[in-house]
Amino acid sequence: MKSFSLILRNEWRIMIADKSLILVCTLLTLLLSYGFFIGLSEAVSRDERVRELVSQQERGQSGIVEQIQRIVSGHEKPDVFANPLNPALVGSGLGSLYAIMHSGALSPLALGQSDLLPDHYRVSTRNKTTFMYQTENESPWNLLTGRFDPVFVLVYLLPLFIFAISYNLLSSEKEQGTLRMQLSHPVTLQTLMFGKLFARLVPVLGVTILAVIVPFLILRGDAVMVSGQLPHLVVAIIIIGAYGFFWFAVTLFVNSFGFSSASNALILVGTWVFLVLVAPVLLNVFVSRMSPAPSRIELATETRLITIDGLNRYHELLSSDYRHIKDSSMLVPSDGKFEVPERLQAFYLINKAVDEKIETLLGDFESRLRAQQDLVERFGFVSPSVLTYEGLVSLAGTGTRRYQDFKQQVNDYHREWKEFFEPRIMSGQIVTVADFEKLPRFTWQEPDVSILLAGSLAKALQIFLATVVLFALGFMRLAKVDVL
Amino acid sequence: MLKANSLTKNFNSNIALNSVSLSVSQGEIYCLLGANGAGKTTLINHFLGFLKPTSGEVLVNGKCVTSNPLDTKRDIAYIPENVMLYGVLTGLENLEYFSALATGRKKPRDVLRKLLADVGLPAEAAERRVATYSKGMRQKVGITIAMAKNAKALLLDEPTSGLDPKAANEFSRLLKTASENGVAVFTTTHDLFHAKETGNRIGIMRSGSLLAEFNSDDVSHADMESIYLKNMRD
Repeated sequence: MKSFSLILRNEWRIMIADKSLILVCTLLTLLLSYGFFIGLSEAVSRDERVRELVSQQERGQSGIVEQIQRIVSGHEKPDVFANPLNPALVGSGLGSLYAIMHSGALSPLALGQSDLLPDHYRVSTRNKTTFMYQTENESPWNLLTGRFDPVFVLVYLLPLFIFAISYNLLSSEKEQGTLRMQLSHPVTLQTLMFGKLFARLVPVLGVTILAVIVPFLILRGDAVMVSGQLPHLVVAIIIIGAYGFFWFAVTLFVNSFGFSSASNALILVGTWVFLVLVAPVLLNVFVSRMSPAPSRIELATETRLITIDGLNRYHELLSSDYRHIKDSSMLVPSDGKFEVPERLQAFYLINKAVDEKIETLLGDFESRLRAQQDLVERFGFVSPSVLTYEGLVSLAGTGTRRYQDFKQQVNDYHREWKEFFEPRIMSGQIVTVADFEKLPRFTWQEPDVSILLAGSLAKALQIFLATVVLFALGFMRLAKVDVL
Repeated sequence: MLKANSLTKNFNSNIALNSVSLSVSQGEIYCLLGANGAGKTTLINHFLGFLKPTSGEVLVNGKCVTSNPLDTKRDIAYIPENVMLYGVLTGLENLEYFSALATGRKKPRDVLRKLLADVGLPAEAAERRVATYSKGMRQKVGITIAMAKNAKALLLDEPTSGLDPKAANEFSRLLKTASENGVAVFTTTHDLFHAKETGNRIGIMRSGSLLAEFNSDDVSHADMESIYLKNMRD
């Protein structure tokens, strides 16, 4: 132990003298800080956008309420196509409300799916495909797209920094002749290598973890505490720590073969290419083959066919005359009721039919997306990069799973919204001021935190297991190294 | 203190050491002469535990090196032909590290400075990066590390090679002081004069075999040269 700490301190002295440690730590801090800045800017602009939408919505709602009051009191004549008393118009767009999934306190950590999938939908009585499925469905798992956020720095760049500082742990000692000098004293090669390794591991991982934690505590500390996401941050740190340990174990393992510095560098970069670049792509290909991504074209075609079917079925209703345009008195209620134009009733029914008929197709869509995500989680062990990425985006609240949960909740909300308006549309019941207070509102329900944390810890555990195996193999191999 | 019993080392079909037996007792300076490739360094590597014998054994202070690799290293100090140190650290910092590694205890810097001064390293140089040192200066730091270890045996692999005559002479003086203090010294060299002047016992090695062994007092400079050349020619 004495030799270990002696080696550790001597290595620090050397790395401070040759400035390599300072350089690596500074660059890592700068890159992580910049990544955090980008992540934070994205999160802030997303939050601002959502705030703006909510305030627009509130302004719009109070405008409609005031307009209803003016129409009912006879101060204003309603517009044919924007009558706020008409439940078909209010339900299908005029009074539509947003379903919003708020960003998590840790979202600056990883952009994840946040720039690919919507975090809000404007729900109406129209069918789901009109407001929920306009986005790309072909690439639901958009892993490692190279966006510059802290996760990009951690998953992609951290291993390279680790290589830069430790690719020649053993070879440099051999090449400069100091290995013999040291091993002529009562110290084993294992102690020497582990001392040298930890002299790098401690500051590099220390700086990495601090560069992740400190900005969060300073700039998002309140959000983290208020949202109760401190455990998320702790688990994120455990995953980052495990990932860092893993790459240091890889360098020790490669060093333990006693190759030259150049060979070590080549092998390590090859390992990085395979585990960080190739393995996730292979996993993606595998997942796509095992559970093919739902086709957007199939969805669009099916929607079109169902809509055409609806148009044919409700042909008569749609062919109703336009007498309410000429007779504006029809737009004003009498005894709380008025005649909802049949055309609008037909549109509602067509949309309802589309929703009903497409339910199976969309259900299949969602289950295939979930199956893909399940496969990713089951086979994520092929690369610690996949495990780290998946773990961190889940904790940041920008993972696929959370967006899938959001869609599910929006589905339920959509059903609730339609149930609210259907009787009013079909029976010609006007929308009153009191109705606006009773409108169903969406409240985002965060999925079970314990499942998320347990899943993330399981990922960290898998990385740790791989790390332990590599450390053990490296340790055993060092005993066989020819020190000459 | 240092003992090799019928030590044989084969590298595949190549015989590097062929049943070599020798011993160095406390206070004795043993000089092993031989041309390049004779097996001198291979023998030292066995004492250091860097190589495992094909047959036979090497003992340090009565303990087998193969089965007690760490224990035996506590009793020996090693000075290679080229003392390699960390270039970015100063001589003093190198000494501080290596001597602590050797003994498990950190010595005060003043003590270390004095040790460096004793071997003739200028005080100003001790605080300079080793990257700026000459070979002789690095050797001096190597000697200081060995001295700081207070080892029972010294292993030296052609330590005076490349040193100027004055430095080589100072070096011989240091070895004699060590032997007077009861340290067993085992040194390899090409330098017959140095061997005769410094050593108590002299061995001649060729192609992995120890061909001759004698006390330096029993032969003159001229005799030694002829014995050496005779063994090299046969």
